[in-house]
Amino acid sequence: MVGTRSRNGWVIWVTFIVGLLLCVSPMPQFMEVLRPLWLALLLAYWTLSVPHKVGMTTAWVLGLAQDVLFGTLLGQNALILSLITFLILSLAQRMRIFPMWQQSLVILVVFGLAQLVQLWLSALTGNRQPTLALLLPALMSALLWPWVSYLLRGLRKRLGIN
Amino acid sequence: MRLLVLVVLSVALMVVDARFTLLKPVRSEMSLVLMRAYWVTDLPQRLYEGVASQFGSRTELLAENEKLKTEALLLQGRLQKLAALTEQNVRLRELLNSSALVNEKVEVAELIGMDPNPFTHRILINKGERDGVVLGQPVLDARGLMGQVVELMPYTSRVLLLTDTTHSIPVQVNRNGLRAIASGTGNPERLELRHVADTADIKEGDLLVSSGLGQRFPAGYPVATVKEVIHDSGQPFAIVRAVPTAALNRSRYLLLVFSDSRSPEQRATEAAQAQEAADRQGAVPEASAPTTPTTAPAAAAPASATPAHSTAPAATPAHTTPATPSRSAPATTRERQ
Repeated sequence: MVGTRSRNGWVIWVTFIVGLLLCVSPMPQFMEVLRPLWLALLLAYWTLSVPHKVGMTTAWVLGLAQDVLFGTLLGQNALILSLITFLILSLAQRMRIFPMWQQSLVILVVFGLAQLVQLWLSALTGNRQPTLALLLPALMSALLWPWVSYLLRGLRKRLGIN
Repeated sequence: MRLLVLVVLSVALMVVDARFTLLKPVRSEMSLVLMRAYWVTDLPQRLYEGVASQFGSRTELLAENEKLKTEALLLQGRLQKLAALTEQNVRLRELLNSSALVNEKVEVAELIGMDPNPFTHRILINKGERDGVVLGQPVLDARGLMGQVVELMPYTSRVLLLTDTTHSIPVQVNRNGLRAIASGTGNPERLELRHVADTADIKEGDLLVSSGLGQRFPAGYPVATVKEVIHDSGQPFAIVRAVPTAALNRSRYLLLVFSDSRSPEQRATEAAQAQEAADRQGAVPEASAPTTPTTAPAAAAPASATPAHSTAPAATPAHTTPATPSRSAPATTRERQ
């Protein structure tokens, strides 16, 4: 058991690296505003399924990586991601028994909240974003949640990550 | 509890990062690894280009060759005119006794990524601190100014484009020299001129070039063309919209301009010295012996005095004052005036 755990823990990190790549992959101009919060989605899934491995500290470290990638202030995305993970963790008991569409709704609300904090932080740092279009990524993420979660569940079952 | 710790930590990091330069090394170390992400996501595009160039058909290549030839011809033609103009410019500047025309050095960089945030206009290029890029360095493409470097990493750097909402650039109308400030609007095809008087002589189709004020961008590079001028009697200023000449969201190859890092005073002094040296070379051979004794003893430019030294022996026997190596040019220029 210990053997399998230590053998397949790296898969989680591989998914996070893929998530980071998806965060910066080039997209057509009109789709840029719709880019889902890939890292947050992955974090949400892994905190729900393996909370003893992925937690707020992981989220924080990944957030720092994202800050460097995006050129925002160090700590901005780290704050957002740890906030998301915190909210997911505190709702975890209920989320596990929800049907998929309800989970999507929770994701929408949590990510929406996080994006609002993001707006507030970027307004503080001087890059004011003009519209509420920044809520679209939260919507997109909520729509993608069922697929991401099925995919990752398949991966987890097959590789026996727990 | 852990959230609290992490939040406090993040906020502390943000404050430190915003106010001090303490975290810059950390950030650049992290970027060494993380910037590979942009490289990886750019890979499909690169591969596609590679494959396309491998399998490009002969007719396509021929057509492209033809096109490039005509373009080269056109550019050659323009270059000939440019040579004449440069010559003329140098002569006129000499007449004005102003600083010598500085040829800026440029280096080609490649775009490796766009900022994922759609509300900011920033790009990543593949040249960084190790290539001699400095903060605030201007970036051009083949058609005009694109922006400036705002963040340095060891092998990459981040460039803020002209159209970002936080960016403004001092410009002037090429036709009549009217100065204005062009601010970004967040739309990649639009700049706005702020505070232009309603009666100002500016009209549709005018070319805006960088004015060099603000000492960030070199003067004379094309920035935008005026698209529309709206005179609204209810507004205190005219609304002037312009389209950037650079292909801000299409160019893949960019030019980094290396202008010299000297302060304007230094530059002026050195230019004056160069001017003096040039004057002396031109003036001394034809200057008659009687004019030279009036030279002031102290010359401002010992460094540039070497050419004078070489010409000195010819003149020395004629006059009584000992010819010092640093004889001088301020006097000669004075006489010429």
